[in-house]
Amino acid sequence: MSNVDRREFLKLVGAGGVGVGAGFMLAESAKHPLEHLIPYAVPPEEFSSGVATWYNSVCGMCPAGCGISVRTREGRAKKIEGNPSHPVSQGRLCALGQAGLQVLYNPDRLSSPLLLDGASGSFRPATWVEGVDKVAGALSSARNVVVLSRGIRGHLAQIFERFAGSLSSANLLQYDFAHEDALYVGNRESFGIDRLPYYDIANTRYLVSFGADYLNGWISPVHHSLGFGTSRQGGHDRGYFVQVEPRMSVSGASADRWVPANPGTEGLLALGIAQQIVAMGGYSGADRDAWTSTLAPYDIASVSQRTGVNDDIVRQIAEGFMHTRPGLAITGGAATRHVNGVNTAIAVNTLNYIAGNVGIEGGILFNPAAPLATTGEENRGAYESLANLVTHAENGSIDALLVYDTDPVFTMPADSGFREALEKIPFVASLSSFMDETTAMADVVLPSHTYLESWGDDVPEPGVGFSVGAVSQPVVAPLYNTQAVGDTLIAIAAHMGHSDAIPWASTEECIKDGWRQVHAQGGSGDFDAFWRSLLQAGVYGRNIRDTRAVSLDPTVVAGMDANEPTFSGNAATYPFTLHPYTSMRMHDGRGANLPWMLELPDAMTSVVYSSWVEINPVTAEELGVRQGDVVEISSEHGSVTAPVYVYPAIMPDVVAMPVGQGHSKLGRYAKNRGSNPLSIVAAQTDAKSGSLAWAATRVSVAPTGQRAKLVTMSGESRELGRNIVQTTGGAAGSAGHSAKLNSIPIKVEAV
Amino acid sequence: MSFLDRFIDGWRRYRRPGYYEKFDYAWTMSIDLDRCTGCQACVTACQAENNTPIVGEKELAKGREMQWIRIERYWEGEYPNAKLKFIPMLCQQCDAAPCETVCPVSATYHNQDGLNAQVYNRCIGTRSCAVYCPYEVRYFNYNNHHWDSPLEQQLNPDVTVREKGVMEKCTFCVQRIRQAKDHAKDDGRRRVKDGEVQPACVQTCPSEALAFGDRNDPGSKVSQKLSDPRAYHVLDELNTLPSVVYLKKVDADAG
Repeated sequence: MSNVDRREFLKLVGAGGVGVGAGFMLAESAKHPLEHLIPYAVPPEEFSSGVATWYNSVCGMCPAGCGISVRTREGRAKKIEGNPSHPVSQGRLCALGQAGLQVLYNPDRLSSPLLLDGASGSFRPATWVEGVDKVAGALSSARNVVVLSRGIRGHLAQIFERFAGSLSSANLLQYDFAHEDALYVGNRESFGIDRLPYYDIANTRYLVSFGADYLNGWISPVHHSLGFGTSRQGGHDRGYFVQVEPRMSVSGASADRWVPANPGTEGLLALGIAQQIVAMGGYSGADRDAWTSTLAPYDIASVSQRTGVNDDIVRQIAEGFMHTRPGLAITGGAATRHVNGVNTAIAVNTLNYIAGNVGIEGGILFNPAAPLATTGEENRGAYESLANLVTHAENGSIDALLVYDTDPVFTMPADSGFREALEKIPFVASLSSFMDETTAMADVVLPSHTYLESWGDDVPEPGVGFSVGAVSQPVVAPLYNTQAVGDTLIAIAAHMGHSDAIPWASTEECIKDGWRQVHAQGGSGDFDAFWRSLLQAGVYGRNIRDTRAVSLDPTVVAGMDANEPTFSGNAATYPFTLHPYTSMRMHDGRGANLPWMLELPDAMTSVVYSSWVEINPVTAEELGVRQGDVVEISSEHGSVTAPVYVYPAIMPDVVAMPVGQGHSKLGRYAKNRGSNPLSIVAAQTDAKSGSLAWAATRVSVAPTGQRAKLVTMSGESRELGRNIVQTTGGAAGSAGHSAKLNSIPIKVEAV
Repeated sequence: MSFLDRFIDGWRRYRRPGYYEKFDYAWTMSIDLDRCTGCQACVTACQAENNTPIVGEKELAKGREMQWIRIERYWEGEYPNAKLKFIPMLCQQCDAAPCETVCPVSATYHNQDGLNAQVYNRCIGTRSCAVYCPYEVRYFNYNNHHWDSPLEQQLNPDVTVREKGVMEKCTFCVQRIRQAKDHAKDDGRRRVKDGEVQPACVQTCPSEALAFGDRNDPGSKVSQKLSDPRAYHVLDELNTLPSVVYLKKVDADAG
């Protein structure tokens, strides 16, 4: 039947007469009728035609670790929704999380191992035996091996560690472009705590966000949105939200007050507010005098002058933050991607500390240890460790590189020399699922399953204030000839004769073994029943909280000598600060090959498919450019072109570009579309955290004389008196439920 | 009574606002603009649930988008006091729907639950309904769309894939409503319980701005939202009697 549909059949009947047509049909259908009609002669147990089966798992689209429930029909994944029992997502999910299905069913997924054919310079399909043999051979003769991956959490990290341990000299390195390195270092320096705290947005009454776009991609957007909604209309006083940033983000649009501040001075403003609060008598700790003198340099006049924020506004925020309790200050995004990123993080911690928001509900709560033995954050490296890798590769001291699901060739600036360094490494193998820019430079590709086909487990980061772990399971059978990344590492180790180095036969065994230990520590009943209920629930929690009292020593702040941001490029030649920003839909660029994300209008500009550069209306007029004019944005390290979007809420000396487009690889949807602002940023780092200061590059903007069709989905951008979005005064609020954090039902041991 | 008289009489009764009091359900959505963050999770959730096609950049440039729910953005003021307000816009399932009266073949009609339904295989593509819709939420298939293999494996088997020449729009996820009704019947209940059925957009909304339910049930979540002092209808002056209720955004500094 396969070659003849109904229309074709009718044509045959009409053209050649009934006899010929029907005879042909009969001959076709007599061949292998059963093969076509019943795809599953013996269907799997959970397979029931016409009935949907739901599986709980963990989202793999960004590092937030939302719990998901996936609807499958006839063995195919149909819809991803949030897992209602999971405390991070609570049944909700963002657009990128929904689009996970287009990762699984992406037409450009790698479907089998590939070997680089030296003569032609292109890849040819290979078998797993060939591929593993090639990698194992190269690794056995290598002196120095680097295993570079995205951040790996949960027990899968153990396989990576043991694999690296089995090689004579191997370095594990985990790199994510969007990882908030400066926040981690800032927290360690302020409070001596390694994990990120829980930001209790749901219960806060006054939130000041210094650059963190917490509703659109910053560390845990779904959970923050839940908190935002609860704080807005949740049965208690409506929370007041302030957003400080040079360019209005999605969170800025939802804030009650948007405050533009000079790029990189967010920390200064936080200290200025803290200084005001101390001066107004809002801090009553024993070390009040020490704080008064420490914060003395951040008096309102100097802070106002350096940040460009009117002193009345600083005073109003200080008063609001002091009197409206509980309050919460957060920072992240571009604000912590300056050369003073860690200082900004410490400054915001200071503000929270001075206002008494540390360790209270509605402020910052610390996260207790996870129920899992490992969280895998130990091997995390900032940008600087990749820069070191570049140096070593150029010296010829790295013999082999194994890369998995991270794309530094795309996310590292061209100035870093990463691409050139990769070419110098004699052997590169990629375990990624897509032909991204880094994978394209590999000698061997052993493609991994997507997260919807693999076993894994996770500790959400940031946590939710109590001890939580989650487990992810395959929701569909593997589509292609791919393999779970853990299984690939096990196979390579076994091929090299190190089968005793990794004690598990498969990733699933490793995960299950890890949870056996969790069960031994506090689970009741037998393990199999626990495991079954765990997979059904998808999440496991213990009501353990971290209520330690912390103090912040004024000397930490006093030691921040150089709080002033510095920029690459002189102001005369490069008059604008480039403000790259990440969004939920593109994340670090991985959304660019998903059609749903390309067709999803940008939240603020409604542009689809391509990239653009946002310019203040006054600046645009001075430059003589209109919306859609293509301009060249040049830094000391290169230039990109993009059409202008005249953006009403950006500082006049700042131009902003979204991160995520400008791929040269990554499949048909992403390839050769838009431009990548990260390629022109200077390779300068924040000295304290070693992270890339990607928001600290100055650029010039020059019209090219060309125009581009900037496809936007918005019609008229003003209401023109139609009163479509109606507003009401500040007193209005409506009854609703209270914050949900404490009442989350987490299935634990009961079957 | 002749057939024509009966038809006209029936049509009049059927068109009379308040018809829903006679029936079991009056499905209603409430959208709290103070909670909405413009994140658009609803847009992608709708695309996944309802098999709306990927139309491509060229078609989008012609304004031929197919997303049944969208976020509209309205700027206010100038820098540094510029503000951006978001509003999700979808078929308002009007009780007095302008689109229904103009369809020459009755492809769009009002069903018992107060839904403005679209019969795809009755639609002949005059696009009159889209012209009459003041909310601009009807989408026309200018092409036969295709999904690059194997993306089609994701398609929801509970929802049809529409063809060229057919108008389509938000259905309040009627397939989910039907399923919930079937479940209620299987359980021997007459009515669907509040919260038992949620369209894909409501289900996914990360800030819980959207709520869905039956306004015939005074205890339902949406019935409570209807009595909120912030409740209003978009373009209320047109008297379309929408089933989507918006709750006003709060301007905290307006006092």
